[in-house]
Amino acid sequence: MAAPPPKRIRRRLALAAAFGLLPLTAACGGVSLAGDDSSKSFTTMGYGLGDALSGARMDQARKALDIKIRVNEGSFDEQQFLSSVAADDPPDVVNMDRAKIGGYAARGALLPLDACAKKEHINVDAYRDPAIDEATLNGKLYGLPNSYDSRVMLINGDLLKDEGLTPEDFDTSDWDRLERTTKKLVKSDGGKLSRIGFNPKIPEFFPMWVKANGGALITDDGRTATLNSPKVVEALEYTSNLLKIQGGWGKVKALNDSFDMFGTKNPMARKQIGALPFENWWVNVLAQNSPKTDLVAVPFKDRKGRTINWTTGYSFAIPKGSKHPDEACTFIKAMSSAKTWQIGAKAKRAEAKKNKGPYVGDFTGNAAADRDIETKIWKPSGNEAYDKATRTLYDVQDKGFAVPANAAGSEFTSAWQKAVNRVLSGEQTPKEALDQAQKQAQSVLDIANQGKR
Amino acid sequence: MTVLDERRTNDAEAPGAAPPAAKRRRTVGERRGPAGPLGRAIRMILLIGCSIAFLYPFLWLVSASFKPAQQVFDNALIPETFKPGNYSEIWDAFPMLTWLWNSTVITLAAAVAVTISSGLVAFGFAYFRFPGRNVLFALVIGTMMLPGTVLMVPQYLIWDWMHLSSSQLPLWAPNLFGSAFYIFLLRQFFLGLPRELFEAARVDGASYWTLYWRIAVPLCKPALLVTFIFEIQAAWTDLVRPLIYLRDPELYTVPRGLKAVLDQFGEGGEWRWEIVATASVIVTLPMILIFFLCQRHFTEGIATQGRKG
Amino acid sequence: MTAPTLGDPRPGARRGGLRAAFKRRDTRAAYLFILPWMIGFLIFTAGPMIASFVLSFTNYDGIGSTQGVGLANYKQLFDDPSVAKSMMNTLLFTVLRVPLQMAIALALAMLLLRVGRAAGFFRTVFYLPVMTPHVAVGVLFLMLFNGNVGVINKALGYIGITGPSWTTDGPWIKPGLVLISLWSLGTTVVIYFAALRNVPQDLYEAAELDGAGPWGRFRHVTLPQISGALFFTLVVNTIGSLQTFTEAYTAFYGTGQAQSYTSDDALFYVVYLFQQAFQFMHMGYASALAWLLFVVIVVITVIQFRLSKRFVYYEGDAR
Repeated sequence: MAAPPPKRIRRRLALAAAFGLLPLTAACGGVSLAGDDSSKSFTTMGYGLGDALSGARMDQARKALDIKIRVNEGSFDEQQFLSSVAADDPPDVVNMDRAKIGGYAARGALLPLDACAKKEHINVDAYRDPAIDEATLNGKLYGLPNSYDSRVMLINGDLLKDEGLTPEDFDTSDWDRLERTTKKLVKSDGGKLSRIGFNPKIPEFFPMWVKANGGALITDDGRTATLNSPKVVEALEYTSNLLKIQGGWGKVKALNDSFDMFGTKNPMARKQIGALPFENWWVNVLAQNSPKTDLVAVPFKDRKGRTINWTTGYSFAIPKGSKHPDEACTFIKAMSSAKTWQIGAKAKRAEAKKNKGPYVGDFTGNAAADRDIETKIWKPSGNEAYDKATRTLYDVQDKGFAVPANAAGSEFTSAWQKAVNRVLSGEQTPKEALDQAQKQAQSVLDIANQGKR
Repeated sequence: MTVLDERRTNDAEAPGAAPPAAKRRRTVGERRGPAGPLGRAIRMILLIGCSIAFLYPFLWLVSASFKPAQQVFDNALIPETFKPGNYSEIWDAFPMLTWLWNSTVITLAAAVAVTISSGLVAFGFAYFRFPGRNVLFALVIGTMMLPGTVLMVPQYLIWDWMHLSSSQLPLWAPNLFGSAFYIFLLRQFFLGLPRELFEAARVDGASYWTLYWRIAVPLCKPALLVTFIFEIQAAWTDLVRPLIYLRDPELYTVPRGLKAVLDQFGEGGEWRWEIVATASVIVTLPMILIFFLCQRHFTEGIATQGRKG
Repeated sequence: MTAPTLGDPRPGARRGGLRAAFKRRDTRAAYLFILPWMIGFLIFTAGPMIASFVLSFTNYDGIGSTQGVGLANYKQLFDDPSVAKSMMNTLLFTVLRVPLQMAIALALAMLLLRVGRAAGFFRTVFYLPVMTPHVAVGVLFLMLFNGNVGVINKALGYIGITGPSWTTDGPWIKPGLVLISLWSLGTTVVIYFAALRNVPQDLYEAAELDGAGPWGRFRHVTLPQISGALFFTLVVNTIGSLQTFTEAYTAFYGTGQAQSYTSDDALFYVVYLFQQAFQFMHMGYASALAWLLFVVIVVITVIQFRLSKRFVYYEGDAR
């Protein structure tokens, strides 16, 4: 073993040493290059160019700006965003989940848009209230909507026919009936879950169930958490039980994780699920992949039978330290204007036509744009199920509500989500979990509110 | 800590030192397999079984990377429908080649830097007797125990302060200053070298550098190689630092890139596991192949190292 | 006796005053050799440790203004249920993983003995997973361990066991992660293999003469002889397990979507530390978290060293 290693290794080591010098120069060059880049071009974060719509809209923004736009695709990443702001090297504009905006605004990571709106003559009233409210903290606006996701009930019409049921069996205002339907539709093969009767989509959609039960997660001013109020606890008891009667969360999620959500063998087509509340974008996906499925989309009802629609979405915001705040403002205006949306929607309709799927409309958070798209671009495709679904989606646009903006942002979200998860994993009862979450949430809210700025 | 020091008695027999074989007791390793044919067969069967278990995840990945989405979880090793299109799709969607290149450069830089610097420092601690040596070496050992994650935050702040917190530099430049674990390891090797070699060279008027470069390094090549390989493995597989320091996708390393692929195509994204599998194959396979080709040197070196512990 | 090595005390080493020592040429040379480490230690270890200690008493977040908050961060460590939970998760994972890893690695290493040249091949096979990026291991975990369609449960199904939902059912997540982590135990195998080969053969022969069976030989010869290697891997693997990050982060906390569906069951201490530091930018609180981890690791390591005095055998010890 003490024998000197063969020549080959020596050569390899020398080669490696030679390579070792490369990065020295490469890295130094890279660093200075990055520095130049960020001041000369306009960078975006969190905006993807995945489909015709987003591409066409970006083209409009490019026309409005006389600076090169560099699009950093890929979803918004909290960790990357905050460290870029801390390092004083942020993107010029960022597209982020509105639920997070309050938290970032509270710690000073975002610039208020009020002056920008004034300067560019942006009519803030044209946007839908929940989208504006969710991005407004202490009276200041921090984001303008880039998307507006609505939630409706999506029911598997084919399965209803098989089982002799009607859409009313999935009426979310009658919780007992909904539970009976769930029990009826759930199916197992040899101990293994093969069909989900009804997926309440918690933890994600928990705010909608709370609202349906007449409760709220937080006061309207966004300062006091109300996570352990009786209405919230009851909503969690009910929804977690819906999963329990189908074999428990572990099984439901495992089956859910194996779904081909974006393909032709999606759970609706394969009748792997009875019904679930879902965001509007999945209607679009289903329309492209299984236009023959009898999809029944109906509004989500609260327990008094009124339509409710929990809306979320992404908004454009300008980070503190943006090198081009003025251009960012122009960019945001260009991206969210009714005209741009129309052009984008046309491009998407053309794409849908090419893929031989029906165009199912777009939902923008800009009420004027929505109207334009609904009346001028979208046309009934003749596919009755999807045409109806689109109608439903437009009908619920005005019934939207959002979780009030708050200074704790994603930490507040995480508090109630974790509580739901603790119940689902059988660790705690709903009351215990929400008591704990309430304590945590109030503590992060207090720190965020009195702390900085 | 004291215990580790006591190991010195043993380490005097370190392979680099190669004390005359005749003086050593015959070890199990030198015994020629008197295990009966039956015993040997049983061992082989068990080993082959275990090897299949160890190789299976790789095979599964490769096979999944050639499947269409619906068949990924059919768990058949031979794809029912052969779909090489996954590779071109991922090649178009992500700068895979850039990531592979970044990783290669950073990994080599990290390994070369740490091998050279740790070797120097280790020799300093092994050859010389100087005031402060014991205190400083105790610090080296102390650092070895210090979990890296503890320093994650302040190190980030230092790079941030130097305006380098979004570059590739933090991924390898600290290695220029040696690493406690390797210093410790290499010092143990140097300690095993016969003193007379160095004394003779000194008499001939060799400089300290010559002692290191011409005598110590050639004799300790296996140990240096182990350092090199360990660091290649560590740098190639690291996710934490790329996650903290790399924001521009053009600068990503392969693990960071794979995470970006997972974000987009995995859970919460498009649920297209065949694409994730394809990316996993691309980031895993080159290293596996290189390692397989050079395995003799690699495992021999590490095996030698095993005597340390 | 073997020839004197660098490790042996130098006969007639010069002794003198400190001042004289620093004037000596070899002292200066020595400091030149260790200079890189000294610089690195100051910049990347000592400096950061001091900084981290100071930060832990502030609410520093890199964006807003910074104030001293006294002991508030340390107080919060005890009020924050996620700290206790993630610490328990991490300790449980470590307690499950380290002994299993050592036992299986030892079994594999013993199998490798006496198979002749094939040992090299198998050793490589066992080592390959170590070269696999941990992110890919996390990905594999999600794919192979899926409770519904994963191959693990399919295999269990063949022998009549309905496997649990490894990736989604809270209590099963940690055992699942332990199992996938065992895949990369190659380094430990290689170390044990080398240690086993170094055991003097005559000890076995002597034991056999004393009438020791296979178990007796294993218990009284093998284990004491490789106790050094066992101890080394115990310490290193424990410290490593306590800092587990990538697999759990990749599988459960990588994206907001994944996070929203995961309770604290997969929350490892370093994952939580990372979230606090880089996702929420609570650098002050994260520093306090880091110091708690440091204390825990030091305590565990000291205990291990204490115990090792009783169990680790060194050549030259009186038996």
